[in-house]
Amino acid sequence: MFTVETGSGFWNPIIWVIAIVVTFLLIYILRSLGKKGYKKDTEQVKSFLSGNPEYPKEKMHIKASNLYWGFTTSLKGLYTLLRKMHTGNTSDYVLWFVIILAIFLLVEVI
Amino acid sequence: MDILGLSETVLRLIIGTIVVALFGIIFGLLYKGVDRKIAAHMQGRIGPPIRQPFRDIRKLFTKENVVPENAIPWIFNLVPLLGLVATISILIYLPIGGFSPIMSWGGDLILILYLLMFPSLAMIIGGFSSGSPYAIVGAQREMATMIAYEFPLAIIIISLAWKLTQVGSVNVFALSTIAGTPIWSNVTGPLGFIGFAILLLALVIVTPAELSKIPFDSPEAETEIAGGLLVEYSGRNLAMFYLTDGVKTVVMASIIVVLFFPYNLSALPLLGLEGGSYVAYAIDILFYLLKVFLVILFSVTLIRVAIARLKIDQIVYTYWVPLTLFSLVGLIFIMWDGWIMNLLGLV
Amino acid sequence: MNVPDYTIALVVAIPLLGAFLTPLVGRINDKLRNIFVILVLTLNAFLVFLLASDVLTTGIKTYVFGAQDISYPIVRILFEVDAMSIFMAIISSILVTVAVIYSWSFMKENTGLDKYYTLILLLTAGMLGMVLTGDMFNFFVFLEITSIASCALIAFWTHKGESVEAGFKYIVISAMGALFVLFAIALLYGQYNALNIALLSSVIQYTFLDKIALVLLIVALAMKAGIVPMHMWLPDSYGSAPSSISIILVSATLASLYGVFRVIFTLYGNVLSKIANFGIPVNVLIGWLIVALAVISILIGVFMALIQSDFKRLIAYGAVAELGYMFLGIGTGIVALGTAYGKTALDGGIFHVINDALDVGLLFLVAGAIYYATKETSLDKLGGLARNMKYTTVFFIIGFLAVAGMPPLNGFASKLLIYESTFQLNPILAIVAILCSILLLAVFVKVFYSAFMGPQLPKFKDVKEVPKSMLFSMGIIACIIVIFGLFPEFIINNLVEPAANALIGYSEYISQVVVGGI
Repeated sequence: MFTVETGSGFWNPIIWVIAIVVTFLLIYILRSLGKKGYKKDTEQVKSFLSGNPEYPKEKMHIKASNLYWGFTTSLKGLYTLLRKMHTGNTSDYVLWFVIILAIFLLVEVI
Repeated sequence: MDILGLSETVLRLIIGTIVVALFGIIFGLLYKGVDRKIAAHMQGRIGPPIRQPFRDIRKLFTKENVVPENAIPWIFNLVPLLGLVATISILIYLPIGGFSPIMSWGGDLILILYLLMFPSLAMIIGGFSSGSPYAIVGAQREMATMIAYEFPLAIIIISLAWKLTQVGSVNVFALSTIAGTPIWSNVTGPLGFIGFAILLLALVIVTPAELSKIPFDSPEAETEIAGGLLVEYSGRNLAMFYLTDGVKTVVMASIIVVLFFPYNLSALPLLGLEGGSYVAYAIDILFYLLKVFLVILFSVTLIRVAIARLKIDQIVYTYWVPLTLFSLVGLIFIMWDGWIMNLLGLV
Repeated sequence: MNVPDYTIALVVAIPLLGAFLTPLVGRINDKLRNIFVILVLTLNAFLVFLLASDVLTTGIKTYVFGAQDISYPIVRILFEVDAMSIFMAIISSILVTVAVIYSWSFMKENTGLDKYYTLILLLTAGMLGMVLTGDMFNFFVFLEITSIASCALIAFWTHKGESVEAGFKYIVISAMGALFVLFAIALLYGQYNALNIALLSSVIQYTFLDKIALVLLIVALAMKAGIVPMHMWLPDSYGSAPSSISIILVSATLASLYGVFRVIFTLYGNVLSKIANFGIPVNVLIGWLIVALAVISILIGVFMALIQSDFKRLIAYGAVAELGYMFLGIGTGIVALGTAYGKTALDGGIFHVINDALDVGLLFLVAGAIYYATKETSLDKLGGLARNMKYTTVFFIIGFLAVAGMPPLNGFASKLLIYESTFQLNPILAIVAILCSILLLAVFVKVFYSAFMGPQLPKFKDVKEVPKSMLFSMGIIACIIVIFGLFPEFIINNLVEPAANALIGYSEYISQVVVGGI
């Protein structure tokens, strides 16, 4: 019941949800043994910047374009190629259509 | 399924979940202590006592749980909890010792692959939500690491399943099937054996990144970004992440054990044990704990002592180019295994 | 439940008539017009659901426009509704209804809303016509209606240069696609003197011209569905249209995707097992081409999405990748026609169609909500919105986890079906699919961080949660996503399996018309 069977495996969301709820309660109880609360409006709540003063909020927020630096750097070659491919030019869009049409015709018809 | 059977299943699930949760937490911390002790000895230090992780948790529980002003409080507090919960939920699908999984028909290897992402995802979102530049740098590194190691990991899992399909198994992704048909018995020739050995080695190299251990710990990198995505966490929230790390180590080692060494000692005719007796279960559990220990020793302790930390782009490169090619070679060996043997007329 | 046959006609006719009435109602009162449009579409959705319950229990339904008797050589158009058609109709109705509810607040400050709603209703009629019709030429007509209405709606924000540019690109691509579809239809009509899909399918020979027609139809419709490398119009138009339109465009592109599979499975169903070039059966040849395009779509979609900094363009590239998953599942179903794993892959692909429509739709609505609240779509300028917009944040979390296919949401169930079947065709397919699913997670985690998290930026201090109508429409989709995620087996058995069987069982589609003598 409620099990998706793929022929190679299965997935039953209900069982997982029950397990998650049980574990959640257990861990929640465990967690509530810990100390609650902290001193608000003290130095405690400031961001840790190795003792440097905090910048204005805009500068504390890393921009989306700068995320995943490590990933894009190690695949630089691929990204240069992909950027070159996306020209934004309508005639290129149509060109790609013609290319794919040609490939299909070559394989399928001739 | 009738009501009685249903309620029995649910009850079994609830009790089983609680048992594996306690098992995972306790042994996770224990293995952490052992790992620290052995690593210290390798480095010529004395090292902390083995029960040190338990003390760490007790200490963290007495500390204040600071929520920084730049954080989003509800996400910041919720994700450590969810990460631990999701990690523990993997244990209900894994066979432990001589016991079959609590819910062997509830999920398969692909589900486990996805669930393994949850603790990392929890750390990433926790790091992002804390609003500290160090944490954000750490979190995006963790995400890049995760993308990096999933490539070889996916190859390993799919290769194993593909081989099982070829020998005619059904439900090839089910843990019970995989544990029931050890892969070493499926090879037709030396090529397949080498292929699986390559995949095993690749999985051993994936493990430290999955657990953010040196040399793949650039998301946390204490020496450069001050603990990275955990920098703003303290008190019981940090304790949750600490526990997650321990449980995840056990989970990851168990997965390697299930995939590559699903043998049980009690099945040996030498011992003359009755299947299902208490002695058999006890021996199996001990043997399983030993296997997990060995896996942790090699894939966590040894590697982290031996190698220095890599930069994040080096991590991505390592996993996407050399290791992926390496695992693809393993896959090709496995695919060619039967074919070559047929060609040479050896089968 | 049994409904009369003319329900099929009503499903297309109601939005069409509603479209013509909207400007008249709009003259009376703006609020009345909004209520009128919502009522029309809700009523239509209700009829679609009634029709669905009938089709799913009793089988294929047909309706004839024009001459009832086949002996008269005059105009007659046949609508033929099977489980696959109604599956697509359900998707379109849900998305359009939600989009219209969302538009109530989202488009409030715009002028020219009479035209906006009229075009939405026309677009709805076009999409529903495309998926319900049983006639090739009629399919082309509805395709054109859809294209023209979409084009005008993409360029609706005419004060933005980008919107107009995107509209122009869209109409060029659509005109190209539609032209080739028309050409292919002409090739078929010239040979067999028939336009009815079922009739054509029963007599098709797979001649040289048929081959050309097949290729033209597949490639042109695949371009309209946005498959790589013919996807480049898609981020432009999804990204520059108002969000409420982006979500409708999702279902419009899916209608083209439906066209591809209707052509392959039904129109050419009889000749799929014939041996074509290189001694390979047609289905294997076509299937592998589609699988290859699908894999490229998945890869390029996620890789491009990862470096986008505009929220809506990023979602659009994510949608391209998701489209790849559908093509991968259904393409594997074509290659491995008749095997058990081929069936599973087909199920997965079809299930992913509805999941993608819901997940990507929800993300577009969230992007719209953020635009509404901050007037900003660039991720580089956003930040810290989880403090101000709690509900939107929750909906975004549901949406992005579902798109990335995290359990227990709906994306996981369909992707699981795709992974666990495609690996039997070739392990590399499943490996790429799994890998890109994780990349997709990375893509949306980036959005989650840059839009919703981080310190409270001074310029967004006074940002308020979006109005109730927008939250309500996002909530509907989020609820459906969660329900689909928790009970995937129910959906697969009752909605997806019949649709997959309808695609495979083309002979039933044919016999309904040819033997039934309609």
